[in-house]
Amino acid sequence: MLETYLSTAGVVLPFLLKGFWETLKVSFVAIIAGSLLGFVIGVIRSYRIRGVHQLLGVYIHVLRGTPFLVQLYIFYFVLPNTGIELLHWDSMTAAFVSLSVYTSCYVAEIVMGAILAVPRGQTEGAMAIGLKPFMILRLVILPQAMRLIVQPMSGVYVMLIKSTAILSVIGITELTRQGEVFIITFPAQSLFIYSMIAAIYFIYCYPLLRFANWLEKRLTGRLQGASQL
Amino acid sequence: MDWLIDYYNWRIVSQYASEFAVGLGNTLVAAGVSLVLSVLIGIPIALAHMSSRGLIWRPVAGYVQFIRATPLLVQIYLVYYAVPALVPGAKGWSEMLLGIIAMTLHHAAYMSEIIRVGIESVPQGQIEGAKACGMNYRQRLRYIVLPQAFANTLPPLLGQTAVLIKDTSLLSLITVFELVAAGVEMNSERIVPNESFLTIAAGYLLIYGCMLLLSKGVSLWLAGPAWNAR
Repeated sequence: MLETYLSTAGVVLPFLLKGFWETLKVSFVAIIAGSLLGFVIGVIRSYRIRGVHQLLGVYIHVLRGTPFLVQLYIFYFVLPNTGIELLHWDSMTAAFVSLSVYTSCYVAEIVMGAILAVPRGQTEGAMAIGLKPFMILRLVILPQAMRLIVQPMSGVYVMLIKSTAILSVIGITELTRQGEVFIITFPAQSLFIYSMIAAIYFIYCYPLLRFANWLEKRLTGRLQGASQL
Repeated sequence: MDWLIDYYNWRIVSQYASEFAVGLGNTLVAAGVSLVLSVLIGIPIALAHMSSRGLIWRPVAGYVQFIRATPLLVQIYLVYYAVPALVPGAKGWSEMLLGIIAMTLHHAAYMSEIIRVGIESVPQGQIEGAKACGMNYRQRLRYIVLPQAFANTLPPLLGQTAVLIKDTSLLSLITVFELVAAGVEMNSERIVPNESFLTIAAGYLLIYGCMLLLSKGVSLWLAGPAWNAR
């Protein structure tokens, strides 16, 4: 019994690690691109310019209201169908773009919430000493908002990494997809192979979750102890 | 309106209206059943997580961490292959049932976290007061803690419900015929990606809109009559 598991692991694991490398690459690109896009959208929304604020609000609601699987299908099947030359992308680009856009809507909400949580007096004080709008943002608002941004952001990143599993449906050979390929070769071992995949995801995501918890404790300080029933 | 038909041919969509209706119904059934079950399972998990005995809270914490750190898709596949192989008599269970089991196991962990935070947000003084009145654990839970925790729990619970409804889309990958599967079937028969996938998205947005209205109503209701009388 153990023998078969070990031999299966010996065959499958190198390919799973190759898939994991792909997962790692996709998630890193999406984290960086999605955070930048979301950050810009969040900052623009925080100014509450009429029209722009509502338009970006619709963007966020549409992205939050539909499952990532559906968004991926739309980015992969519908957008190349529009006839615009720029949108004739391959599956890899579609994966990058859809994942980044998906991340951006969550990041934008976090950034806007954090910026709006900075007291109004801070902006007024900065105006009073004659700072320009961009300097106010960079020197006064963002340093204070950062405290509120970092912690929920790691939760979004874990969600993003978990969403990369869905990319397997459009044929990106990431971790989950590699597993599906081997289910065909070793149908009797499917449970074991998926357990290995789950273990690899766990090793990747768990440190991030712990890091988020640690940050939360550090940033909120020691509040009163949890109540005992 | 003729220019629109090049991009979105609603006549084809209307031919598939019954498929979409069945799909939407299955989505709502899967989401509803797993919502109820995951809240029911989430409460004992939350209470076990708060236990002071390591033998009780450590396995539960491990379960919650495992669920939170692995993708739902992998969990669905695990359940899909594990339950028929390990549970006796589960060979002939439908994909829908297996999907609901996977969704319940996944969301019970999240629900338990929400409920646990809700319970922990009840001030310590409330519990001490209840103890001073001579209430036992069950009475404290029933009359003091859970009613207050309920108000703290409801808004995030609704948010998690929205996530749960979206997550049912993954059940299409284990051939459950829900909203996404209906659209994919239409696309594979007629090759109409615009119509099929945009209709799916519209279906989810409809549900999301209802959830937004509901959560707005609930937050007004929880704020109480004094706030609403303004």
